[in-house]
Amino acid sequence: MIPNDVAAIPPNPPRRALHLHRELDIVWRNGPGLWGQITSVSHTTLGLRFMGTAFVFFGIGGLLAMLIRAQLATPQSAFLDTALYNQIFTMHGSIMMFLFAIPMLEGLAMYLLPKMLGTRDLAFPRLSALGYWCYLLGGSILILALLAGVAPGDGWFMYTPLSGKTYSPGINADVWLLGVTFVEISALAAAIELMVSILRLRAPGMKLTQMPLFAWYILGTAAMMLAGFPPLILGSVLLEMERAFGWPFFDPERGGDPLLWQHLFWLFGHPEVYIIFLPAAGVLSTVIPVLSRTTIVGYGAIVAAILGMVFLSFGLWVHHMFTVGIPHLALAFFSAASMLVAVPTAVQIFAWIGTMWRGRPELKLPMLYVLGFFFTFVMGGLTGVMLAVVPFNWQAHDTAFVTAHLHYVLIGGFVFPMLAGVTWWMPLMSGRRRIRGLGESAFWLILIGFHGTFFLMHLTGLMGMPRRIPTYADNPEWMLLNLSSSFFGFVMTIGFALFTIDLILQAGFGKRSVRDPWHAPSLDWAMALPPPNYNFASLPGVELQKAGAADAMLKLARGEGFLPGAPRGRREILVTSVGSARPEHVALLPFNTALPLVVAFAICAFVLLMLGGFYAVAPVALIPVAGLIWAWARRAVAAVDAAPVEIAPGLLLPVHPANGATLTQSGLVSLLFANGTFFASLLFGLAFLTLVSPGPPVPAWQADGTVLLAAIAVLALLAAGTLGGRWALARVEAGQPAGAALIGSVVANLAALVALAALALGVLPDPTRHAGDAVRAALVAYVGLHIAVAVLFSAFALDQARRGELNPAHAGSLRNWGLWQRYTLAAAALATAALWAQELTA
Amino acid sequence: MKCAGFATVPLLLAGCKGPLSTLSPAGPIAQDIAWLWWALLAGAALLALLVFVLVALSFGRPREVPEKRWTFGLGVWFSLAVLTLTLAAALWVGERILPHGPALEVHAHARQWSWTFSHPGAQGPNEAEGVLHIPAGQPVDVLITSSDVIHSFWVPQLGGKMDAIPGRQNRLRIEATRPGTYEGLCAEFCGLEHASMRFEVIAHDPADWPPASLPVSPPLSPPALMEAPRP
Amino acid sequence: MRRVGGMGWLGWLIAGPTVWAAAFSVAYGLHGLGCELGWPALSLGPVSLQRVAIALPSLAAILVCLVLLARVKTALGPEAGIPRLGLWIGLIATLYTMAPVLVATSCRV
Repeated sequence: MIPNDVAAIPPNPPRRALHLHRELDIVWRNGPGLWGQITSVSHTTLGLRFMGTAFVFFGIGGLLAMLIRAQLATPQSAFLDTALYNQIFTMHGSIMMFLFAIPMLEGLAMYLLPKMLGTRDLAFPRLSALGYWCYLLGGSILILALLAGVAPGDGWFMYTPLSGKTYSPGINADVWLLGVTFVEISALAAAIELMVSILRLRAPGMKLTQMPLFAWYILGTAAMMLAGFPPLILGSVLLEMERAFGWPFFDPERGGDPLLWQHLFWLFGHPEVYIIFLPAAGVLSTVIPVLSRTTIVGYGAIVAAILGMVFLSFGLWVHHMFTVGIPHLALAFFSAASMLVAVPTAVQIFAWIGTMWRGRPELKLPMLYVLGFFFTFVMGGLTGVMLAVVPFNWQAHDTAFVTAHLHYVLIGGFVFPMLAGVTWWMPLMSGRRRIRGLGESAFWLILIGFHGTFFLMHLTGLMGMPRRIPTYADNPEWMLLNLSSSFFGFVMTIGFALFTIDLILQAGFGKRSVRDPWHAPSLDWAMALPPPNYNFASLPGVELQKAGAADAMLKLARGEGFLPGAPRGRREILVTSVGSARPEHVALLPFNTALPLVVAFAICAFVLLMLGGFYAVAPVALIPVAGLIWAWARRAVAAVDAAPVEIAPGLLLPVHPANGATLTQSGLVSLLFANGTFFASLLFGLAFLTLVSPGPPVPAWQADGTVLLAAIAVLALLAAGTLGGRWALARVEAGQPAGAALIGSVVANLAALVALAALALGVLPDPTRHAGDAVRAALVAYVGLHIAVAVLFSAFALDQARRGELNPAHAGSLRNWGLWQRYTLAAAALATAALWAQELTA
Repeated sequence: MKCAGFATVPLLLAGCKGPLSTLSPAGPIAQDIAWLWWALLAGAALLALLVFVLVALSFGRPREVPEKRWTFGLGVWFSLAVLTLTLAAALWVGERILPHGPALEVHAHARQWSWTFSHPGAQGPNEAEGVLHIPAGQPVDVLITSSDVIHSFWVPQLGGKMDAIPGRQNRLRIEATRPGTYEGLCAEFCGLEHASMRFEVIAHDPADWPPASLPVSPPLSPPALMEAPRP
Repeated sequence: MRRVGGMGWLGWLIAGPTVWAAAFSVAYGLHGLGCELGWPALSLGPVSLQRVAIALPSLAAILVCLVLLARVKTALGPEAGIPRLGLWIGLIATLYTMAPVLVATSCRV
């Protein structure tokens, strides 16, 4: 039996560290050569690769920024033609947001979290790899489009109707919608696995309230990503449907509303800023106390501040829409919320300064970047409060003032902390020390270049210069301001180039670093440099978690923690309970595989077909995707007959959970949460188009009794499928065959799908007629897709039953399917009710 | 000199003026917002200074730190007090500049990439391309519409900006204290010729209103205006 | 409610801000609905139906936060600290974001 107090579990006897290392290395390491890189699923490899790729995109985005500054240096420059200029500023914003900032923080979190939490990898290693390949392929599509001259040019915010087919007829806008959505798969994948890893993979006994603050920050970030990205993905899907099939969601002449796009976009877009800021703040909360040789001030207050930010930042989105003509009271709600979100920020700022007061701050290179952060971000935050003031916003909105503000926030609040983090963890990542002098020069160039570029840009904006204009011949008063911004922009670029050179020199030629160079308390430094793929030869218990990196290192390497070595030749990690991290079971992680790359290619084929306008063929490309995901699930490590594992003397843990959820179940719950936000956004769209949107009213559907009957039939069949699944699970748990129940479920689900298809094709009004018809069809399509997946889930379980793989200890697929099935049933019922309500108001 | 906020840059001391500058307001609404800005700037400068000084002081010897005083005292209560003050000012000015009470109504209709304006004349509405005529010294409500994509009506010296959204009609109050010509532009990115979508507002002496010298044109009738939705 | 960690603790942790989020969404939705249906013109004594409708969910949210604040210590014991801060966040955020209801012009003019 697992004891309640983890600290009471006796330690494993020490063993030879080198022997353990060899044993683990064989099991966990990447394969040799390029193929080994392609098939790697290690969080260390992929985290580094995410960060490296993000840095390359940062370089490209920076280059585009320099082109913009070159164009604006003089009032009437003929350097870029307007169409190209529009593409360049659109791509600058899109790259920095979607291809740099988000992947950068994902990479850092993926790389660090398992090391900080005391485990060997993330919960879903293949998902990490899939996310990376989707990111790389989607990003490449965007860059290739830029090189081919067909990059999007409607601004990174893609406001409709400008981004609609009428005013942007080329494929440029499709590149943005499809490319960015493709990349967002990686964001969702990362969010799910970071969430599950933080909640379920912490070292035994590491309570939530004791875990490193960085993990709290990433937990908040992951939750925000799960709730924040779905509205953007929904908006992109709807706009692409409008462009491809003429479903008029945003077309005012057919009952659509351009403001719906703005709501969906900023419902993502504002939380996005905090998604970017939170991990950066996590770096600061990690670095500042160690460099001040003390502990953080106000752990609990900071956790509460994170909590506040996660929620409050979802109540601000309308402050990007203060000038669209929304009543003052509604603006005031969002103005107040925008003010309020400054409070948790202030709590953290003062906690960090308090920490520095309590300790003795050392002016090492990361601390320089911390100071750069304070100097820059505080100003950006204050201009942010100014912009939350509605009357001032009416003047400053869409001017260079906002450009300056957002760069103060993003470079101050993200880039400076990230540079602090990179210089901080570089010895860990490269195993080497940096070369003195170069880094300091880079810092000063970046700092001076940054403020030179953007400080006076506030004034440029107040003097009336709008954003996104390429020339300003009639306004000589803006000339000097712009020229100086451009000059210092190039200074900043030189600084970033120097920073990159410094990194390359350090990684290539630096002297070997000693272990734990900063004398850190956290587990991320309690390992060899650079870390092996398995991180820890044994997993730390409560005592070793608190010992500090230097003292824990040797004991962990000698196997005195839990689950030492890899004696069974498997990739084993410990799964613990959510709150107090009691060890629950041992999970087996998958080996290296190229499957994620193949799946990414299959999705890429679908994206390219959509991009090419082959709409009839594109859905066919989803069949290989479904097939590969089936193979993915089949190849999950099966341990039907695995014996319990002894993780410490006398403590046996099952390889499958006797009670408590599997990792997959936790992951599925996270996915369904994101899916639920997607669905809620769709319902919001339905309500918005029906109630708020001006323009022609929704024409009556004149749905008759057959429609009602068909809807009831679909719901009843789904309910039958659900009951069948429950029955099957009960039988499997009792050790009886479940084949009949499963066949019944598959048939019921299939019949539901057929009934829905008949309803959709037979009696649904033409979705191109009116936005109300389009959103109704979108809801039906959403339900249909979910039923189709439910069919696959039930068929997978049936296949497992046929192979004799289901038994009381191994019924996870039935539980997972049950989750999905119940979600589908609930969504179908809600959709029916919503459409009913739409009929009543129409 | 109001530019004192940027006194660190003597070169630009005189530079706050300009035909599009929000810092040289020419009417009560723009003036209200400009005052608000200078107040915000002063407050922000003080707060930034406070934080920078606190950071600088941290490089002394270690001190006892009462945690709650930093996180709750400074972090929550101090910032909440400052923010509440700001919010109150924001709401007060926000209500002042709203279109309350009677005003002359004019129309601004945007399309890629030009503006059509109309104002009531002696013999019916007068229409003009790229020029908006208003009387000085009295509030004017601009009814803003668009026939294609989203644009934004902005005359920095006379008031804030308001978007022109196809399918909707927005109302923005502006006012010029004295007769004169004021520059305006489209503030929302609207495609290729976004930068060239400029216009002028000519404020006339109230004694000469409505101006007789302007040509009288038939009532404004672009399609989107005719079916302009409920106000 | 379980004392030791688990989803129970996480549930308490997010309870306060969740209540705020719900009140905020409902108030914003009712505001839009009220403007469409002309609620500001219907007066209930000294105030309009519009302001009452928008204020009610906030009052309910504040009540919920107060009730939870009274119970959090017994439910979570020594682990109650951070969830209690969460409830205060919910309470203050609701008060703060709903304050403009008293003064700001409700619908388009």
